[in-house]
Amino acid sequence: MPIHEKSLIRKENLVENESLVIDGVDVSGHWSTFITGRSLTDYNDDMQDEIAALPGGENIHRCWQCGSCTNACTVNAVNPEFNPRYWIYLIRLGMEEELLRDKDIIWQCVSCNKCTYACPRDVVPEGVMKATAHWLELKGHTPKSPSTEFDEEFSGQVIKTGKIEESRVIMNFFRRTEQPLAQPWLVALIKGLAFRFPVFYLMRMGMAVVRRPRTRNWAKSRRAINEYVQEVEAANRAAVGAKGGH
Amino acid sequence: MTKPVLIVGGGPAGLSAAHALASAGQKVVLVEKEDRLGGAPILDGYAKLVPSHEWAKDAIGAMVDRVQGREGVDVRLNAQVQSFEGEPGAFTATLKDGTKIEAGSTILTTGFTHFDSVNKPEWGFGTFPDVVTTVQVEQMISSGKGIRCPSDGRVPDRVAILLCVGSRDRQIGREWCSKICCTVSANIAMEIRELSPKTNVYIYYMDIRTFGLYEGDYYWASQEEHKVKYIKARIAEVTSDGKRLLVKGEDTLIKRPVSIPFDMVVHAIGMDPNVDNMTISSVFGVDLNKYGYIAKQSTYAHLAETNRPGVFVAGAATGPETIDDSIAQGQAAAMAALNFKPAGKVAAE
Ligand SMILES: Cc1cc2nc3c(=O)[nH]c(=O)nc-3n(C[C@H](O)[C@H](O)[C@H](O)COP(=O)(O)OP(=O)(O)OC[C@H]3O[C@@H](n4cnc5c(N)ncnc54)[C@H](O)[C@@H]3O)c2cc1C
Ligand code: SF4
Ligand code: SF4
Ligand code: SF4
Repeated sequence: MPIHEKSLIRKENLVENESLVIDGVDVSGHWSTFITGRSLTDYNDDMQDEIAALPGGENIHRCWQCGSCTNACTVNAVNPEFNPRYWIYLIRLGMEEELLRDKDIIWQCVSCNKCTYACPRDVVPEGVMKATAHWLELKGHTPKSPSTEFDEEFSGQVIKTGKIEESRVIMNFFRRTEQPLAQPWLVALIKGLAFRFPVFYLMRMGMAVVRRPRTRNWAKSRRAINEYVQEVEAANRAAVGAKGGH
Repeated sequence: MTKPVLIVGGGPAGLSAAHALASAGQKVVLVEKEDRLGGAPILDGYAKLVPSHEWAKDAIGAMVDRVQGREGVDVRLNAQVQSFEGEPGAFTATLKDGTKIEAGSTILTTGFTHFDSVNKPEWGFGTFPDVVTTVQVEQMISSGKGIRCPSDGRVPDRVAILLCVGSRDRQIGREWCSKICCTVSANIAMEIRELSPKTNVYIYYMDIRTFGLYEGDYYWASQEEHKVKYIKARIAEVTSDGKRLLVKGEDTLIKRPVSIPFDMVVHAIGMDPNVDNMTISSVFGVDLNKYGYIAKQSTYAHLAETNRPGVFVAGAATGPETIDDSIAQGQAAAMAALNFKPAGKVAAE
């Protein structure tokens, strides 16, 4: 049967056979169009536990679906598809496929915590959003988000040298996220600095970029931090049952 | 009053009225149709009670003990009132075995009847052995046998509790909320999770009515401490795929039909009017309300009065009630019976 209002149906639920003959009748093409069921046929009991095991996700099981978080949400105000209440429900019931439909917007949470202050059950939805974005990355569903890239670059430098060097962080961050270095705002910032900063400081900053100074006796601290980081990362991977790591 | 007060029904409400009257020095005759006192919590083997977490056999058993064998309390088991005649202050009740009892006044504490799930055939009770009621789960727990699927004795991986079975349903003429079953279900869910941590429990609800302080101790605790999951759906039907039960309905929060496999389905059955109420109504000359429970005359001024002077009512006989409210009402009825003066009625008219 031809279906007229196809736009109302999700594309992947429309099935057509290019050539099909039933009881001698040729029903190829749109004559064989049918809509697959949208009935939910199982829950995944583990998904909530996986996300609850990641930092921020601990209280997800408290949610009673009141919608206060979504109503308070900064991002929801501009994009109605951004719906923490709904995602929390999907996770609680283990509806992974549905959640993955929104994987490219979940990370857009701006961590304003308006939801956290609105939530009557102390779910800390902001934390849950963070844990969920993290879970999506660990499971390989999404590439690392820009903020994860930034955090990694930043902490990587600290761990290595005991210091950060801003210009290097920014340069590497742009490279990792494939953004051009000549960002207009950055150019303007540097120009402004060049005009207003005493020459002495500018020289010191320049030297720092070239010489890359380190904190003295850092090796011991680095070892300890690395050990801790590895421990946390292993725990996170174990939480989501993912093999290997980044 | 020299003549005894006749109390009909030995559940929490009747036991509380009997205790109160005996404590005040008033003679009591307690008529119970079953072979034991205690009412539903004892007769049906409830496990731990809401909100005390005490075992029913201990908590209600203690109420039985302080009444049974007590001076001034005459208990008649396996007995029912066949006729009830006379005037306020001088009633005569005739039991089915012919015994006559003189009473100044009477208190009806005849309670409720559990909804029979067979009347909702689409939910699989009576068709599939692993579809059970909250009463059966209470018995699994109180008997110490644990949570097991009746079909093969296995411990279920996944249990669904369906709320409002036999309540809030015009299709079967039951337009009331049974009041206690949300809380009882949350309690049962927590007990299942405690007895068998690997069993996941899902509660299908339309509204959650864990009123008052039950909210924190049952609804919140079941979610926060026991990870019970609540799904907003009124189930359409329970079928089977040959191996497990299939629970079908619409998840109204995501606007999608669901058809989920479960090992065990529990009906949170409601509190029907006592099946004897038509008989009780005609024997005692008391009116029933439009739902079929014994009608109270007034909400405020005369808490325990029926339409017939000298005949009082308390507990789940008047509508779905909790045990503690039934006990309070039993005491209120005892007070009303103690203060009852037949002449007062004439003066009031
Ligand atoms: C599954 C389930 C679990 C529950 N758990 C709890 C809980 O944890 N906490 C709580 O507060 N409440 C609970 N309740 C509610 C509780 O059962 C009632 O509040 C309580 O039983 C009411 O007490 P009652 O004395 O009014 O009536 P009943 O307990 O029904 O007692 C009535 C008595 O009268 C007798 N009787 C009936 N008709 C006659 C007659 N014609 N002649 C003589 N005797 C008669 C009966 O045999 C019975 O002994 C639960 C209810 C259900 C369905
Ligand atoms: S923290 Fe994220 S989810 Fe919460 S209100 Fe802000 S943007 Fe929305
Ligand atoms: S505000 Fe809290 S309880 Fe309400 S839907 Fe959001 S997370 Fe759930
Ligand atoms: S107490 Fe809950 S389960 Fe029972 S009838 Fe009311 S809403 Fe339904």
